[in-house]
Amino acid sequence: MSSSLSTVPSTLISLATHPSSLRHNRWAQVAVLIAIWFASEMVRVRWHLPLPGSVIGFFLVWLLLETRALPAAWIERGADSLLNHLVLFFVPAMLALVGHPELLSFTGVKLLAAILVGTVIVMSGTALVVELGFLWSARRASR
Amino acid sequence: MNAVVTAVFWGAITLGVYAGARALHARRPRWWTSPMLATWTLCGGLIVALHTTYQDYLSGTQWLIFLLGPATVAFAIPIHRHRTLIRRHRVMLGVGVVTGCLLAIGSSWLLAGLFHLSPELRASLLPRSITTPFAMSTSSVLGGLPELTASFTAITGLFGAAIGELLLTYLPVRSAFARGALFGMGAHGAGVAKAREIGGEEGAVAGLIMVLAGLFTVIGVAVFSAWL
Repeated sequence: MSSSLSTVPSTLISLATHPSSLRHNRWAQVAVLIAIWFASEMVRVRWHLPLPGSVIGFFLVWLLLETRALPAAWIERGADSLLNHLVLFFVPAMLALVGHPELLSFTGVKLLAAILVGTVIVMSGTALVVELGFLWSARRASR
Repeated sequence: MNAVVTAVFWGAITLGVYAGARALHARRPRWWTSPMLATWTLCGGLIVALHTTYQDYLSGTQWLIFLLGPATVAFAIPIHRHRTLIRRHRVMLGVGVVTGCLLAIGSSWLLAGLFHLSPELRASLLPRSITTPFAMSTSSVLGGLPELTASFTAITGLFGAAIGELLLTYLPVRSAFARGALFGMGAHGAGVAKAREIGGEEGAVAGLIMVLAGLFTVIGVAVFSAWL
């Protein structure tokens, strides 16, 4: 325990003196992403923006990456870790279902039916339209 | 039970069950060992068995839900990684995302009306086809319950990933691009994992469509609600 705690200040010192060491530290990168998200939430509140802070943060980071102002190596390990464990972050929200016993009824059956039928519609419709578009653009290219 | 003990207990249980399910899934990759399904059912079963309220459970796990925010920011990395694919296929990606999002929201709206679901349930159902962090923030803007949307979205992903290949045997869809779009649009995270098993291009397209559909829906709903 003491050894893992003592690495925190030494990590901070090495990050402060050698910013490029950020590219090796997954946890520091996660902290950077949390800080960007937090700052974006404050921006949203301050200027009453209609988008969620997380989406504002997404566009900010995307812009910084495309303009090469932010090297991808400085956050990509942390980003991959967060996305790898995305399930862990939304399962606690899914468990809210235990507080809705009223859904264990005909309403629940109707909800399930709406989800299943809707999903078949979305998948088939999207695939067919994209396939048609693909055939159309291939035919136009060959002419 | 003491409030702090309760919080630590449920936080540790959730992390432990998740870690165990991941280890099991790495050894036996089946749909029923998926960490999402295992963590959901085991923690849910335990909550019911111990007569815990959702509020008590949340006291130890709320911080995990907060991490959906930074995770949404993190989606900038895969989008940046596939920038050449986006540039080359921007028109078809746009067609797929716009069609898919309109079909997703439209079909949910109509089916909820057909089944006479309450306005709250209907709003919770609308964003269910996009990836969970985007779906939950869209749900609250629309007047739905984000926690219910999380479950509807998960069921969508599980079901979509399970029937995707069956649909592909019936549909006249040959291009890897359209096959990837089917999974990314219809079954978000679970669909992307399935599409990766089918092929590299299918997986990349599914991942892109998933993130772009989330962005398109969030922005579309924000513009729409500001305009109303």
